Amino acid sequence: MYAALLSNRYLTSRVIPMIAVGAVALCVALVIIVVSVMSGFLDMLKASGRTLIGDVIVSSGVGGIPHYDEWLADLRALPEVEEATPVIDTLGLLRMPYPSGPSKEIAPVQVWAIEPASFARVTAYGEKVWWRPPTDDAARDAMLPEDPRLRMDGSILRDGLTLTQASTGRPGIVLGMHVSIGNARQSNGSYLPRFGWFMPGEEVTLTVVPVSESGKISEPRDATFPIVNEVFSGVYDVDKSRIFIPLAQAQQLLRLDAAPLYDTTAEPDGEGNLPLLGTTPARVTKVLIRAKPGVDALAARDAVEASWDAFVAKAARRSDRLGRPPERVSILTWEQQLRDLIGPVEKEREMMRILFSIIHIVCAGLILSIFWSIVIEKTRDIGILRSVGASRLGILWIFLRYGLAIGVVGSLAGVGIAWIVVDNINLIHEAIGRDAPRAAWITTCALSVLSLVMALHSLAGRGQLLPGLLWTIASVTLGVITLALLGHRGTLIWDPSVYYFSRIPSQVDWFNAAITVGGGIVFSVIGAAIPAAKAADVDPVEALRYG
Amino acid sequence: MADPASTHSGTLSADSGRTSRPPSATTAPPMLAALEVHRTYRFGQVEVPVLRGASISIAQGEWVAILGQSGSGKSTLMHLLGGLDRPDEGRGTIEFEGRAVNLGAGRSLDRYRNRDVGFVFQFYHLLPELSVLENACLPGLVGGWFGHARAAAARRRAEELLDQAGLSHRLRHRPAELSGGERQRVAIVRALVNGPRVLLADEPTGNLDATTGASILDLIAAQHAQGLTVAMVTHDATVAARAHRVVHLRDGQVVEG
Repeated sequence: MYAALLSNRYLTSRVIPMIAVGAVALCVALVIIVVSVMSGFLDMLKASGRTLIGDVIVSSGVGGIPHYDEWLADLRALPEVEEATPVIDTLGLLRMPYPSGPSKEIAPVQVWAIEPASFARVTAYGEKVWWRPPTDDAARDAMLPEDPRLRMDGSILRDGLTLTQASTGRPGIVLGMHVSIGNARQSNGSYLPRFGWFMPGEEVTLTVVPVSESGKISEPRDATFPIVNEVFSGVYDVDKSRIFIPLAQAQQLLRLDAAPLYDTTAEPDGEGNLPLLGTTPARVTKVLIRAKPGVDALAARDAVEASWDAFVAKAARRSDRLGRPPERVSILTWEQQLRDLIGPVEKEREMMRILFSIIHIVCAGLILSIFWSIVIEKTRDIGILRSVGASRLGILWIFLRYGLAIGVVGSLAGVGIAWIVVDNINLIHEAIGRDAPRAAWITTCALSVLSLVMALHSLAGRGQLLPGLLWTIASVTLGVITLALLGHRGTLIWDPSVYYFSRIPSQVDWFNAAITVGGGIVFSVIGAAIPAAKAADVDPVEALRYG
Repeated sequence: MADPASTHSGTLSADSGRTSRPPSATTAPPMLAALEVHRTYRFGQVEVPVLRGASISIAQGEWVAILGQSGSGKSTLMHLLGGLDRPDEGRGTIEFEGRAVNLGAGRSLDRYRNRDVGFVFQFYHLLPELSVLENACLPGLVGGWFGHARAAAARRRAEELLDQAGLSHRLRHRPAELSGGERQRVAIVRALVNGPRVLLADEPTGNLDATTGASILDLIAAQHAQGLTVAMVTHDATVAARAHRVVHLRDGQVVEG
């Protein structure tokens, strides 16, 4: 009981333990903040990757996959597969509607040609189409008054989901949210038109380069599409470069549609026509597959691989038609597909976790040195306690308990700090991104002057050196902060073009937080153990005589 | 451990004048004894023998004053009697009620210091972070992981003794807020709170003025009058005169008279 009484009293009646508590809190908070942001980044990367590409991705070379509709039927019949959708993935140049005048901006884009209905069943495309009217009053209330969505009806969403401009019947194009310059992201995460450019309704011209099965490049071909909507995936790289057009239009542009094949080695007939060999089938370059709920992506991939082998074997037996699928295609799970992206981030997170965990050792060292000085200062108290019957283990336990209390209080405070910072990290980031408000530097300046007055009062008025020094340090620190705030011009720390996502992950990684708290407590006790053992070894007679 | 029936549990009220010698003090078997005790301090290569075969017997209910020059080994003898220190290996025994306390394990010595003896020091030795009441009941908090009932009893007894010592209005004060005499009163209450059989006082008035010192001796005398055995170290013959037996420590040995 005396151990509890003394360790609590030592903790609350002195300033030095508060410094140790502060050090533990900052160390724990630092580790939790860094690893939470990185874990959140990783989770967002994985979640976004999966929602954009499905569970299994089949990719072929430039020749594409012929008779893909037959294989899609095979795939849909698999018990592991929920849905499969064909995609053409190519590169193109997009002639934007801006600026005004004849000279327009050209943007390089990644073209995904899709069948919107099945694509939306495989991916979260339907949820990612941005421009749509609010679904309920709560959504309406959350929007800014100038948000164009408040004045929209359901037609723009339908056009986006079907990739068709219903009013004209023309095939439409959907742009990634950051492909154009016309969308300005707001602090609440919404978008407002910028520079007077609201993309839906505008027209763009897409230029693509067909590539033959043998790899020969044909003349570039272009087509003009009305922009029917825009899509926001949250992955900056995707939103900056990806556009969606209907599959049929892409097949025509890229010469991947069904077409008659003539024998160019034969002589033309009397009318100048070459002999017809048959019809080359339409092709796609990718097939995206969603696994049935509860089916592991790896199991789905194995099933897809077996299905592909069967499809190739079946096609080999069909000598009566043109177009044989390639024997080898790349079949990957979403995680394997994103390995190049996820792998380094995972390694980086582990590296950060290890590097920042070293801070715990610094913490232990700090507590050790603080406790060492406390034990020396409290030598006489130790002698007194021994004289009233306290055992050596009892003395040991006082200081271990003291270290434990510092570890627990500091670690929990660290979790609190980390939670507040992580939860508000985007607000903090936005605040850093703006110029410092005038009130902030006026306040710090006033506090600096007040501290200076207190310093002069302590030094000259009362002749106290220590308070004078502390007030001087406070005054200088606040003065430096004032100057820093005065000179602060908005700084962009989280650049979405570097970090893929437009928002900083703001979820505390509680599993990691629990481990970090445990580490903080254990290392605090370890730091206290050596001084505690020294205290237990104190000779009570010498402690009473010389302590 | 002390016999509960004979554990000192008297009240603290100041008395004055020399206490009477108990009739059986010289003939009764000793309650506490040092037998041929040697204690040598080592400072590097230098050995300083402080006690050289010192022997003393203190009977139950006796008040013995140990007089000696500064550096004669009075405090060392007191520490040995109180189980804070041990004699040189195999050179002497400390007996309490016929039991050699210095040969036991550390745990039994801890228990001996906690239950059987109470210390009063020249410089009070109160813990500055604790209040008067917490300091006074400290021995009651020591000695067990689950001693809540014992702690509560110690607290009640400390409050009672502090009240008798005229400190009931100072319970929440810190030692730094007390006078020297008040601090020593708190130290005496702390020494008595577990009802020890023997009070070991090391220069209890050495840091006090004559008047305050006299009041402290009165307090001790009051306890002694209620059956507490007292061993007191001093270099002041007038203080020693309050005891009913005075021994001298010379050349590392105890000399009667």
